[in-house]
Amino acid sequence: MVKFILFMMSVLFVVSFVGFSCKPSPIYGGLGLIIGGGVGCGVVLYFGGAFLGLMVFLVYLGGMLVVFGYTTAMATEEFPEIWMSSTTVMGSLCLGLLAEGLIVVYLKGGDEKMWGAESLVMFSGEEVGFIREDYLAGSILYSGGNWMLLLSGWCLFVSVFIVMEITRGR
Amino acid sequence: MNPLASIIMSSTLISGTLITLISSHWLMAWMGLEMNMFAIIPMIMKNNSPRAIEAAMKYFLIQASASMLLLMAASLNFMYSGQWTLTEMNVSMASLIMLIAMLMKLGMAPFHFWVPEVTQGTVLLTSLIILTWQKLAPLAILFQITPSINVNIILTTAILSILIGGWGGLNQTQLRKIMAYSSIAHMGWMAAVMIYNPTLMLLNLLLYLIFTFSAFTILIKCSSTSTSMLTMTWNSYPLMVSILLIILLSMGGLPPLTGFVPKWLIIYELIKNTNIAMTLTMSILALLNLFFYLRLIYASSLTLFPTSSNLKFKWKINTPNKMYFLPTMVSISLLFLPVSPMILMLS
Repeated sequence: MVKFILFMMSVLFVVSFVGFSCKPSPIYGGLGLIIGGGVGCGVVLYFGGAFLGLMVFLVYLGGMLVVFGYTTAMATEEFPEIWMSSTTVMGSLCLGLLAEGLIVVYLKGGDEKMWGAESLVMFSGEEVGFIREDYLAGSILYSGGNWMLLLSGWCLFVSVFIVMEITRGR
Repeated sequence: MNPLASIIMSSTLISGTLITLISSHWLMAWMGLEMNMFAIIPMIMKNNSPRAIEAAMKYFLIQASASMLLLMAASLNFMYSGQWTLTEMNVSMASLIMLIAMLMKLGMAPFHFWVPEVTQGTVLLTSLIILTWQKLAPLAILFQITPSINVNIILTTAILSILIGGWGGLNQTQLRKIMAYSSIAHMGWMAAVMIYNPTLMLLNLLLYLIFTFSAFTILIKCSSTSTSMLTMTWNSYPLMVSILLIILLSMGGLPPLTGFVPKWLIIYELIKNTNIAMTLTMSILALLNLFFYLRLIYASSLTLFPTSSNLKFKWKINTPNKMYFLPTMVSISLLFLPVSPMILMLS
């Protein structure tokens, strides 16, 4: 039953990506990102990564997407394009959903019984341990992974400059 | 651009490539490539014309897709083999996807369509950086995964690149596009020998960098971006057009010049591995490259195109101050052929 939920969450993840990659107006893309972020979080939580899942909720959905939503609302157009409004967008949405459906049927082998996650997951991840990997990784980033932290910080810093240079205009 | 922003972009550009070169983990290799890509985007867009913005967007889309393929290949490799080491790419599907990602980054056929358009859309100095510095990181990754590369794919890509680099450059008058097609062809030569002798790929890369850098330096100093502008440079910089002759003939691979060394050694290596039909095809297709270099030489130094008479007499010829190591590189382009026995010994 719980594995069925995992399967449904993965399908919904891909469907939300299809939903924003068929290029409706950005505000509707944000809606797709919210659903995708939430469901992806659920997948991470299923495999025991409570810390990282909640980090995604807080930082990604609660920080970045909020800012994205506000800026998109400021820059929105008069007649935004929804998923049904133009043939192109609706066509790519249908194509994406069809491709996802075909892949799901192929992976399941068309078998009604096997809705579990055995064919989807490579390594089991079912063992019970004493070490919480996600908390451990969060702290290792600051100790053994200091080079990675430095690079990530530098990249975020540079990206602000880059975005400002790109959007400077004439 | 603001000097602070310019310093930050340049340092990120340099450190991105260096991080990819020294990394042993796929994540760091990816990070270096991403730093490279996003640092050069504002440099491409610096003059803010619609052409430059379009070139930056094309560059970004292609390189971002290639980075995504790289991440997928690295993840697939981890899924089936359990490790992230850059040199141990054992899973054949992952190696294939990684090869395709690197071919997209390098601009080799059939993923070459962005190279002429991005090179043309920006200033000469930025297109020099795109054609020289940006090739280092993907080639370093390919150098490290050579044992697992799918031979058929890379040899097909090499032949196609040499064909398209030669044939596509034939109809061009814009110098940046000519250099872009020349870059595609040289990447093809490098890819052909990579699986047989990676050291020769490095030799070809080094000499290609020297030739391209010298050619671009001359073009920057003469401020000429098309063949017709090149026909008027004999008047202002007469020595530079002679040097351009040497560099272009060397790029075309003519014997007493250095450019013959990589082609000769690559042909030798391929024939040692009994790959004779492909070698013959590659040598014949290299003539297409030589043809459009010869056309540039014809236009600039061998003949005088018709000009107005007040252009013909210049009483003062200014020598440019900063030459960016041009004399050194021209000496290497001209005279390095006798060093080839030492290179053979090294490989």
